[in-house]
Amino acid sequence: MIENSFNRRGFLKVLGWGGATVALSGCGNTSVEDGKEFVTSYVQTADYIIPSIGTYFNSTCAQCDAGCGIMGRVREGRVLKLEGNPKSSINNGKMCGLGQAGVQAHYNPDRIREPLLRNGDKGEAITWEKALGLINEKVGGVKAENIAFLTGGISGHVKALLKNYLDALGSGHHYVYEAVAPSIMRAANKKAYGTEMPRLRLDKAKVIVSFGADFLGAWISPVHFSQQYARFRKADNGERGVLVQVESKMTLTGANADRWLAIRPGTEGILALGLINALAAAGLSVPEDVAAVVREYTTDRVSKDTGVSTEHIGRLVALLKERSPSLVIAGSAAEGYAHGSQNATAIALLNQVLGNVGKTVEAPSSIPFPQMAPATGNRFALQSLNDNMAQDKVKVLFSYGVNPVFTAPASMKLKENLKKVPFKVVFAHYMDETALEADLVLPLNSALEDWATVMPEYVAEGAQLNIQQPLMEKLYPGTLGVGDILLALLKQRRPDEYKGYEDFYSYLRSAMVSNKGALGGSATDDDTFWDATLSHGVVKLAGTPVNMSGNPSAKGLVVPGPFTEDSAYPFHLIPAVSASLRDGRNANEPWLQESPDPLTTIVWDSWVEMHPKTAAKLGVVEGDIVEVASKSGAIKAQVYVFTGIHPDVISVPLGNGHEALGRYAKGVGVNAFKILDSVFDKETGELAMHETRVKVSKAGQRVVIVKDEGPAGGNQMGRKIAVRMSSNKVNLSEEV
Amino acid sequence: MSITNLLENWSDFRQQHPSDDRPHREYKWAMSIDLDSCTGCNACSVACYAENNLPVVGKEKFAHGHSHHWIRIERYWDNDGREFADQGAQFLPMLCQHCESAPCETVCPVGATNHTADGLNSQVYNRCVGSRYCNANCPYKARYFNWYDYPTTDNVWPEPMNQQLNPDVTVRGKGVMEKCTFCVQRLTVAKSNARSAGRSVLDGEVQTACQQVCPTGAISFGNLVDPLAKVGKQWMKQQVELNKDKQAKDAEEKAAKLRGYRILEGLRTYPSVMYLEQLRESAI
Repeated sequence: MIENSFNRRGFLKVLGWGGATVALSGCGNTSVEDGKEFVTSYVQTADYIIPSIGTYFNSTCAQCDAGCGIMGRVREGRVLKLEGNPKSSINNGKMCGLGQAGVQAHYNPDRIREPLLRNGDKGEAITWEKALGLINEKVGGVKAENIAFLTGGISGHVKALLKNYLDALGSGHHYVYEAVAPSIMRAANKKAYGTEMPRLRLDKAKVIVSFGADFLGAWISPVHFSQQYARFRKADNGERGVLVQVESKMTLTGANADRWLAIRPGTEGILALGLINALAAAGLSVPEDVAAVVREYTTDRVSKDTGVSTEHIGRLVALLKERSPSLVIAGSAAEGYAHGSQNATAIALLNQVLGNVGKTVEAPSSIPFPQMAPATGNRFALQSLNDNMAQDKVKVLFSYGVNPVFTAPASMKLKENLKKVPFKVVFAHYMDETALEADLVLPLNSALEDWATVMPEYVAEGAQLNIQQPLMEKLYPGTLGVGDILLALLKQRRPDEYKGYEDFYSYLRSAMVSNKGALGGSATDDDTFWDATLSHGVVKLAGTPVNMSGNPSAKGLVVPGPFTEDSAYPFHLIPAVSASLRDGRNANEPWLQESPDPLTTIVWDSWVEMHPKTAAKLGVVEGDIVEVASKSGAIKAQVYVFTGIHPDVISVPLGNGHEALGRYAKGVGVNAFKILDSVFDKETGELAMHETRVKVSKAGQRVVIVKDEGPAGGNQMGRKIAVRMSSNKVNLSEEV
Repeated sequence: MSITNLLENWSDFRQQHPSDDRPHREYKWAMSIDLDSCTGCNACSVACYAENNLPVVGKEKFAHGHSHHWIRIERYWDNDGREFADQGAQFLPMLCQHCESAPCETVCPVGATNHTADGLNSQVYNRCVGSRYCNANCPYKARYFNWYDYPTTDNVWPEPMNQQLNPDVTVRGKGVMEKCTFCVQRLTVAKSNARSAGRSVLDGEVQTACQQVCPTGAISFGNLVDPLAKVGKQWMKQQVELNKDKQAKDAEEKAAKLRGYRILEGLRTYPSVMYLEQLRESAI
């Protein structure tokens, strides 16, 4: 230590205790000095609360459906920051930017604070008693089959309660809808591997070929995959995995690939079959029926159809042949077409032929409590609900955790059809586009104020039940948890069964404690079990691996040829799912709006991405406002030119373009969901998100794009700032 | 502490580096960032907003260059004239490099930015008069100025968003410069706890917010003086020496190269952040 430097003790001696207290207290925004607030000491504090010392409580992130474990730092009764829960095998203590912004969802100034009943164009604040009474009256006045419940992905005890409520009503109409879910992949996986969501082991693969799966950005469980990716890039033995990304518009994952291959939109399946053919020619053993199907996919033909050079196909084949095991993943970019299922099947077939099943594609565990297993959703469900509404078959509609008015294409006419439903109840955090259409809006607790259990669809090991618990007192007395609302509604229908539960907390505790044997707590008493469960934030369940069928078969597989040109609508529109805004539900969190898009560095807006060639053809430059018109509608946004996109494609990010939601989201950017054409995947009936064809025309003005990159636009001008070298020049095994 | 003492023992208070004869005593905080692991996801940046009370300035002020991301992801392309960015992007988390010989420190007219005994480049908010000379002199553009009084600006921290503010970190007012502190509030707590236990801070005992959140673990942070610290081992293995403006290894021709480098080292700023070069496979 420096002899003359003052230490803390000396410092306090000099100042005296009074002075020190002033010096050590935070400056911040406190208005104690103005006399607006009073400082109250804790006369009787709880055991574990020490003023100024943060305490961590475990819970589950609700910003997306990945179900990462979080721990919230709580100080003086306020939750300040979220960190990852190291005990969760999904995220092992790590988080993403979207998850970090969870506190902004909680403290958001635009949250709804009391139940609102429609009175003309306005919402009138009413009491919960009245709101719940009204629901009771409405559901009692219609036939059970005319009641519909629309939710997003849902699991755990809330799902079980919801099912019980629907049973109590005598209606089974539960529609699960996720706007950007990998539903085509689930169906293709089910067919190929016998399970919808096999476990992917990126860390065990030596080569990953991803057909448009943005597993580092917005696909399924990005924080989990990012951790696997780190081990894939730098294995313990120093080996470095090779990532090849095949897609028409660069994703964050594509930006990290060793080779990014721009492919003509929709021809992913052709490339996969071409690779099988070339691998067979190179000596890989391929079943006879598969070989027969792929025989016509010669490298020359595939190169012509897909736009990927024969040289790159050759190198990719050599790489896949040499380095095993590999992993081939089909992502949303490959699936978003009318032949999306065929593409996904062809890609799965490549995986099987390479012998990756059982090595890098593993069987997931069965879920011990099927009633709490995640209900996953798709757009097909929304379509069926929409059809039923159009035919006046829905009299009472509940909506929870979704914003279909924002995410449904205009061509569905969902907003018009909603008007035919006489009574619409929307559970909401914000007045979003769907809540604006409601007759009754029920304000929800934030995810940091609420009790729930969550069973994520993708779990890294075994099975897992996540605990979501309040990290602080409710900010507003007028909000309720979704579990509490469902319980109150159930008490109306089945009072005898549920009257014993004062609130959802008591229901949850009793349900968990009564099952503690199956939840790994058979040796402990109830209180110890419950406290340990809350303390860990996750309950790890023993699950047995499901059976995977792995016989490659090309039966019935037909992959159509490349698209024909459409002179009226010459470009393919790729609606891009961004890691932070996803389907738009988080758009009112300002950290996410100000967090630059990784590839374009644009903030607070939408944009139209195009290749320099395309821009030259259209006669536009960066910042030009263009109109992007499909058969179903048009949007206007600024042009961003870059080379991470195929010249036949233009791309607009999803998530912005809100007409409601809140101060940070309203009026920012445009909503690309609206102009999607109604084209569906032929096998699953899913909306084909990438099928929309558009024309682009200059709309006159030019703006300066607000972005983080400098005027050099990503050129280092010869300075060595970010440096890159060839991987064969380095010995990673010698690194720390 | 008298002024005489201060003047007589100036070199103890004014930490001047590089200094072979006066190495760091207990702590020298340093970082290393693996660019081959960094995916450019921006989690570090958002975590920094959460930890350090950074204001969200909005579109208009962002356009004026008033954004406050203490750690930002710089994105570069290296197409070399090819039609596509077919080797992806180069992402680089840029933050205050905590230079040992910081160009910002020498130009501050009021000594608001200076070097601590732990080797941090510190910013004393209540000394800062807003000359912004430091900003002009920083080669890394890692300093951010409060052009507005964000606590009282509409929609920056509207009620109840202000309840999220970290009480361990000052909320800066108009007219002061700010920048990455290596989460000094966390370091202070860790040092204090360690001192109470009669030891030094152990490796891994304290993490910066960006390091803690990073999904791929690309960021290492620790005490370069501690021989057990991962960050020190990394620097050693990469043969990057803190007090050199040219690394000996760069002159050698070797078959296997080392990835460690510091940005704009030739400016003799002696940064405390080492980067590991991004890699790309040549077989594809």
